[in-house]
Amino acid sequence: MLGVNLKTIYTIAKKEFLDNIRSKWIILISVIFIILTILSAYVSGGSGDEVFGGLEATVVSLMSIHTLLIPIIAILLGFSTIAGEAEAGALSVVLSYPVKRVEVLIGKFLGLGSVLAVTPIIGFGISGIIIATAIGGEEGLAFIVFIALAIVLGLMYLSLIICFSALVKTRVRAIAAGVGLFFWAMIYGVIILALYMGSGGQIADLMSGLESYPEWLFASIVFSPGDLNQMAVMRAFDINQAMGYSMEAPDWLSMPFLLIVQFIWIVVPLILAYIFFKRRDI
Amino acid sequence: MVTKTVGCPKCKTHIEIQGSPGETKIISCPKCNTKGKFTFPGEIKKIDAPSGSFSIEIENLTKKFKDLTAVDNISFKVRKGEIYGFLGPNGAGKSTTIKNILGLMHMNSGSIKINGYDINKQGVKARESVGYLPERVAFYPNLTPLQTMNFFCELWGVDKSIAKPLIKEVGLEDAINRKVGTFSKGMVQLLGVAQVMIGKPPVYILDEPMGGLDARWVKTIREKIKVLNKEGATVLFSSHILSEVENICDRVAIINKGKLIAEDTVENLNKYLKIKPRLEISIPGLNGKVPEVVKDIEGVEKAEADNDILYVICESSSRIKVINALEEAGLKIENIKTREPSLEEAFVKLISKDEGGA
Repeated sequence: MLGVNLKTIYTIAKKEFLDNIRSKWIILISVIFIILTILSAYVSGGSGDEVFGGLEATVVSLMSIHTLLIPIIAILLGFSTIAGEAEAGALSVVLSYPVKRVEVLIGKFLGLGSVLAVTPIIGFGISGIIIATAIGGEEGLAFIVFIALAIVLGLMYLSLIICFSALVKTRVRAIAAGVGLFFWAMIYGVIILALYMGSGGQIADLMSGLESYPEWLFASIVFSPGDLNQMAVMRAFDINQAMGYSMEAPDWLSMPFLLIVQFIWIVVPLILAYIFFKRRDI
Repeated sequence: MVTKTVGCPKCKTHIEIQGSPGETKIISCPKCNTKGKFTFPGEIKKIDAPSGSFSIEIENLTKKFKDLTAVDNISFKVRKGEIYGFLGPNGAGKSTTIKNILGLMHMNSGSIKINGYDINKQGVKARESVGYLPERVAFYPNLTPLQTMNFFCELWGVDKSIAKPLIKEVGLEDAINRKVGTFSKGMVQLLGVAQVMIGKPPVYILDEPMGGLDARWVKTIREKIKVLNKEGATVLFSSHILSEVENICDRVAIINKGKLIAEDTVENLNKYLKIKPRLEISIPGLNGKVPEVVKDIEGVEKAEADNDILYVICESSSRIKVINALEEAGLKIENIKTREPSLEEAFVKLISKDEGGA
C-alpha cells in the first residue's frame, strides 16, 4: 500500500541501533535494570533453602521492576527521535535523501525497539539462567514468554513516545510528553481506585480478592499498557495469588485478548505518529 | 579508466583493479579466493530525468506559518549547470524556500520541480537528484564520522568505499574514530560537506554552507563548489554574506521578507541599480579632510577621507574631473584605485528600496 523500501528501513533501523546502544543513559538504566533483576531473583528466594526463589515467585517480584524501568528506557530512547532530531537538523539531512517518511518511521521504531529488547533479554535472561541452573527450569517456556512480554511492554511505550515525538515541535516538549506518559502510567491505578471508591466500592472488598471486583474495574486495564502487560504475565505463569491477594481475573481477560489489545497499543500510536510525521514541517 | 587498490577483507592482500567511474566489479582475492564487490566512485550521477533546461523550477511558492507569510509567492528557475546564489538577510525566507524545494516543508501554494519531477507528487524521484546541506547540520552523537558516512552511503545506495576518501577530503581523517558528539560546530559542518558529496548528485542545494567555518575552509568550500560545477553539477546556495557568493555565482536572487526582490547576474544588478564605482585616491598630507574642490564637481555623489586616502563615489565621466581638480588645487596624488561596485552595495540598495528607502 505504502510501497516501502525494505533496504531503507533496515538502514535506518541499523543506524538507530548503533547510535542508541551506546547512549550512556541507556547503558546506565540497563545496568541498573540488570542488577535489580538479579537481586530480585535472589531476594525472592530468601525464605527457602535455595539461594534463588522459584521462577514464579521471581516473576512476581520482577514485574514491579519491569513495569517501572522498561517504560523509562522506552521513553528515553524515543522522546527525541523525531522532535529532537528535527530541531537539531539531523532529520532534515535524512529526509533530503530519496526516502519516504514512512520508511524512516518504521526504521526508527524497529531500531529503537531492538535496543529496547536487548535490556530485558540480557537482564531477565541472565537471572533466568541463574535461577534455572540453581533450582531447575520447569517453567522455562513461561519465563521466555515473560521476557517477550517485557519487550512488548517496551514497544507499547516506545510507540506512544514516538507518537508524541512526531506531534510536538521541540525536544523540551517531547521530554515533557515523556514525563507525562510515565506519570500517567503511575497514577492511572490511583485514578481507577478513586473511581471505584467514588462508586461505592470498599477497600475491604479489594483486599479480599479480585473475584469481588466489578467488571468495569477489569475492563479499565485496557487503557493501561502496564496493567495489561502485568495481567498477561500472570496469565502466562497462571499466577492466582500475589503478595497475599487473590488475583483471579475473569475468563474474558484471556491471553489472546490481552495480546491483541497490547498489539493495538503498539500499532495505533504508530499510525498516528505516521500521520503527524507526514504532516510535519521539518 | 580508473585504477584503485583495495584490501581483501579476509587476508588483507592488496588487489589492484581497473574500471570506469560508477562501475561495479566483482573481485576475487588471488590469495584466499574471497569474492567481493567494488563500485568505483561515480562521476556526476546520471538521472533518468524528464527533459528540460532547468534543474530547479519554482512557481508561485507561498509558505505561511500561522499569520506569518515566510515565503510570499516567489518564482525562479535555476538553469542546469549554473551556480545560483540565493541571498537575503537573516530571516528573509531563504531556508524556508530551500526546505520547500526539498519537500521538507509543506507549501501552502505553488509548485516546485527538481529535474522535472514535482516534489509533491514524485518526492523520492526528485530527491534522487539532490545533495543537501542544511544551515544547521547535525548528525548522530554516538556514531563516528565513518559510521555516519557509511549510513548515508547505504541510504544513497552507493558503495561505502567512498566514505573514507570523502572524510579525508574535508580534513577530518584524524577524527575518523571519534564520536561526532565530541565535534566542534565547524567539524560537524565539514562532515556535512562530505555527506553532501556522497551520491555525486547533479544538483546541490547548500544552505549557508560556509557558516561557522574559518577562512581556510570557506576558501576550500568555495573551490569545491567550483569543481562540482565544472563537473556539470548545478549548485544553488544561500548566504547572507555577500562576499561568499560574489565571485562564483552565475546568477543571484535576492529575497527579503519572503519576497523575491531581484534576480539577475551580479553585473546586471549593478547596472540596473546604477551603483557607481568608487575612486580611492592616495594623497600624502590629506589628514582626513575632504578637499573643497571635490565637493562642487558635477557627478560626485559622495566624498569621504580617511587619513591620507580620499574616497569618491562618482559617475565614470566625472573621474577625470576629480583628478584634474585635485591636481589644480596643488595636491600630490600618489596612487589611484578604482573599485567596481560590489554585490553588497547592490544588496543594501535593493533591500533599502524594497523597504521604502532611498
